[in-house]
Amino acid sequence: MQRREALRLMGGASVFSVLSTDWLGASLHAQMAQKAPGTLQALTPAQNDIVVAMSEVIIPATSTPGAKGAKVNEFIDLIMAEWATDQEKAAFLEGLGEAERRAKELFGHGFAAASAEEQAAIVQRFDEELDVYRENENKEWSGFWELKTALPFFEQMRRLTLVGYYTSEIGQQQELKVEIIPGALHGCVPEGTEVKQ
Amino acid sequence: MTSVKKPETHDAIVIGSGITGGWAAKELAEKGLKVLVLEAGRPIVPEQDYAEHVPVYEVKFRGMTDRKQQLKTQPIQRMCYACDEWAGKFFINDLEHPYTSDPGKPFAWIRGRQVGGRSIMWGRQSYRWSDLDFEANLKDGIAVDWPIRYADIAPWYDYVEDFAGISGQAESLAQLPDGHFLPPMEMNCAEVAVKEAVASRYGRERVMTIGRAAVLTRTHNGRAACHYCGPCHRGCITRSYFSSVNATLPAAEKTGRMTLRPFSVVHSLIFDSQTRRVTGVRVIDSQTKKALEFQGKIIFLCASTIESARILLNSATPEFSNGLANSSGQVGKNLMDHIMGGGAAGEIPGFTDRIQTGNRPNGIYVPRFKNVSNKEKGFLRGYGFQGGAARRRWTRGIDESGFGVGLKESLRGYGPWEMNFHGFGECLPSEDNFVEIDKDHVDAWGIPTLKIHCAYGKNEEALLNDMAIEASEMLAAAGARNIEPFRQKNPPGLAIHEMGTARMGRDPKTSVLNAHNQAHDVKNLFMTDGACMASTACVNPSLTYMALTARACDYAVSELKKGEL
Repeated sequence: MQRREALRLMGGASVFSVLSTDWLGASLHAQMAQKAPGTLQALTPAQNDIVVAMSEVIIPATSTPGAKGAKVNEFIDLIMAEWATDQEKAAFLEGLGEAERRAKELFGHGFAAASAEEQAAIVQRFDEELDVYRENENKEWSGFWELKTALPFFEQMRRLTLVGYYTSEIGQQQELKVEIIPGALHGCVPEGTEVKQ
Repeated sequence: MTSVKKPETHDAIVIGSGITGGWAAKELAEKGLKVLVLEAGRPIVPEQDYAEHVPVYEVKFRGMTDRKQQLKTQPIQRMCYACDEWAGKFFINDLEHPYTSDPGKPFAWIRGRQVGGRSIMWGRQSYRWSDLDFEANLKDGIAVDWPIRYADIAPWYDYVEDFAGISGQAESLAQLPDGHFLPPMEMNCAEVAVKEAVASRYGRERVMTIGRAAVLTRTHNGRAACHYCGPCHRGCITRSYFSSVNATLPAAEKTGRMTLRPFSVVHSLIFDSQTRRVTGVRVIDSQTKKALEFQGKIIFLCASTIESARILLNSATPEFSNGLANSSGQVGKNLMDHIMGGGAAGEIPGFTDRIQTGNRPNGIYVPRFKNVSNKEKGFLRGYGFQGGAARRRWTRGIDESGFGVGLKESLRGYGPWEMNFHGFGECLPSEDNFVEIDKDHVDAWGIPTLKIHCAYGKNEEALLNDMAIEASEMLAAAGARNIEPFRQKNPPGLAIHEMGTARMGRDPKTSVLNAHNQAHDVKNLFMTDGACMASTACVNPSLTYMALTARACDYAVSELKKGEL
C-alpha cells in the first residue's frame, strides 16, 4: 500500500495540502495497469455486444467518455457471473434476448447493429415499461433487505449501467470529479467552490 | 500435555481490546500495573488494514459487496451498514461464532473480533447521560435503581473527553449535559434551515444540534484533525477518530507495562473458592487451538455486553453453579438494545445553487424531548433523532427513469436537499430478554454458545410510531416537500447498542455489579462494557462506557493498593 505508506510518512494534517490529485491519480493508474483485460465470464460475445451498445445508449459519451469507455459491460459481466442469483441472471439474459428480438422485428437486424436512433427507440420502450412496472408492482422485501422477486431486465440493466459507470475511474474522476480527500468541510458554499483547507 | 508450565502472572488482565478494554489497558498501565490484554481476534496494522481511501473502482464489486460470499459467511453481520466491501473484514465470520434465537424473534448480534474490536467501526456519536437517565428506573419503579448519579460520573466524562477528543456544540440542556468539546462541525445549508424552523416552532423544547462525535476538528493529543474523507468505519490513517487502535492502546503501549496478546479466545475465568477471588483466565489460542492459562491479581472483563455474560455463564463453579458472580441470578438477564428505525425524510426547498464540500463523518442530533418536562400518555421514556441533509448525486438516478445525454447531464449535478430524522429510542429492561448457555452447540473453539431470547415490547413499539409522527411534523415545520414517514422493523441488536446482562445496582441480591463496576460476589472482578448498564437511556452509550471504565480503574487500583482486592 504505497499510497498509504506515503501518507503516513508525510504525517499529520499537512498531508492534504501536499497531496495533489495528479500524484494520487498516478499511483492509481499504476495499479489499474496491472489488471488483465477482462475476459467474458457470463455473457456470450453476442450478448456482450448488446450490453455494450445498450449501456452506451443509457450513458453516452459527451464531453466525457460514456458507459462503453468506462467498460460498464465488463462490470455487468462480473455481476452476472459472481453476484447475481440464478433467477436474476436468467431474467437479465432473457431481457437481452428480448432486445434482440425487438430490434429484428422492428428494424430487421440485431440490437448491436442497429443505428443510434433505432437503439434509442427500443430503450425508450423498455424505459416506459419500467415506469409502468414500478407503478403497479408491489415489490416484496424479505426480512433483511433482500428483494424476493428478481428485478425485471431493464431495471437491472439501467441500475447496473449507472452503478458501473459512476463507480468507474472515469465516472468518479472525469464525470463526477470526486475528491477522495477533500481536506476540509464547508457546509454551505456556492457550487463550484474550490475547497479551502 | 506432558510439561507443566507455570502460568504467567500479571497485575491485571483485561479481556477484550474494544472501546472499554482499550481504556482499561491505558488506565491500569498508566497507574503502574503490569497489564495483559487478551484479544480474541487478530492484530490490526493501520498501514495495511485501514482502507478508507481506497477508491470504489479498486474494490471488486464496486461497493455492492461480494453478496454470495457474505450470504454464506456473514448473513448476520451484513445487516450492519458498516459491513461493506471495504470494512467487511472487521466483522466476524458468522459460521465461526454461532448462536440461536427464538422462532420469530431474530436478534442481530453484530461483532468485531480484532485488536480494537468494534471501536474500529463504531458510529463515534458521543453523548453524556443525565440524571433523567440515571434516575429513570427508580422513578418508574422498573428493574433496579442505578447506584450512581450524574455527579458521580461527570468528572470522568470530563476526563475521557479530554483524552478522546469530542467535537460538539454546547446547548445548556439538562437532558443532554454539555461536555469538554472541540469545535463543532458545520451544519449544511438545509440543516441550518431546519434547525431554525424547529427552533421557531418548538422553542427550547426541541433543539437540533450538530452531532457530538469522537472525531477531531483540530489537532488533539498528537492526533491530526479530520480530513473529511467520510467513511471512518474503514479505518483512519491519520487517527482522527477515537478508537482503541488510534488512541488508547498506543497510550498503554507507551507505558511499557502492557502486553497485548491477540488470537486469545477466553474460555472462562478461574475462581479460587478459598479466597473467593478470580485468579486467572482460561484461554484457547485461536491459531494453535491450545488451551492456556494466565494469572492476574485483578480482572477487567470487557468482552462486550453479550460476550462478557457468556464468559461468566461458562465459568460456573460449585459455589456459583449458574455462572460466576451470579448469586443474584441476573447474569445474562435484561438484554436491551435501542429501538431504531422510526423517522421521516423529506425535501427541503431552496439552496439549489449551494453545496456542502467535504464528507462530514457526523450528522445532526435532536436530544430527547418526550417525557422530559411533561408526561406522555402512550409510553415511558423517549428517543432522540440522528439524521442530516444532503444533495444526492448519481445515486438518485437509480430510482428515476430516463436515459441518454439528458440523464447524464442531470446526474452530473446535485439533486434537491433531502433531510432525514432517524430515531433511537430507549429500551426498557425486562427479564424476558436474556441469554443462556446452549450446551449442545459450540463455537469454532469448542466453547459453548448462547441462546438469545430477545424481542422489543409495547413501549418500544410505541416509541417507534411516535418517532415517525414527530419527525414528519418537524419536517413539515421546516416546509419540507414529499415527506415520507418510515417505521422500519429492525431486529434488536442492530442498533449495536446492546446493554444489560450484568447490571449495576445497590443490592447484591438483584444486581451483579456495584457502583464501581465491581462484582458484588467477586471483589477483584470488574466489568465495564455494556453489560453493566441498568437501563439504556436513549443516547448512544459508548462515552458512558469509557467514563465508567476510567472510574472503575481508578477505584480498582486504589483498592488494590489498600490490599482490599
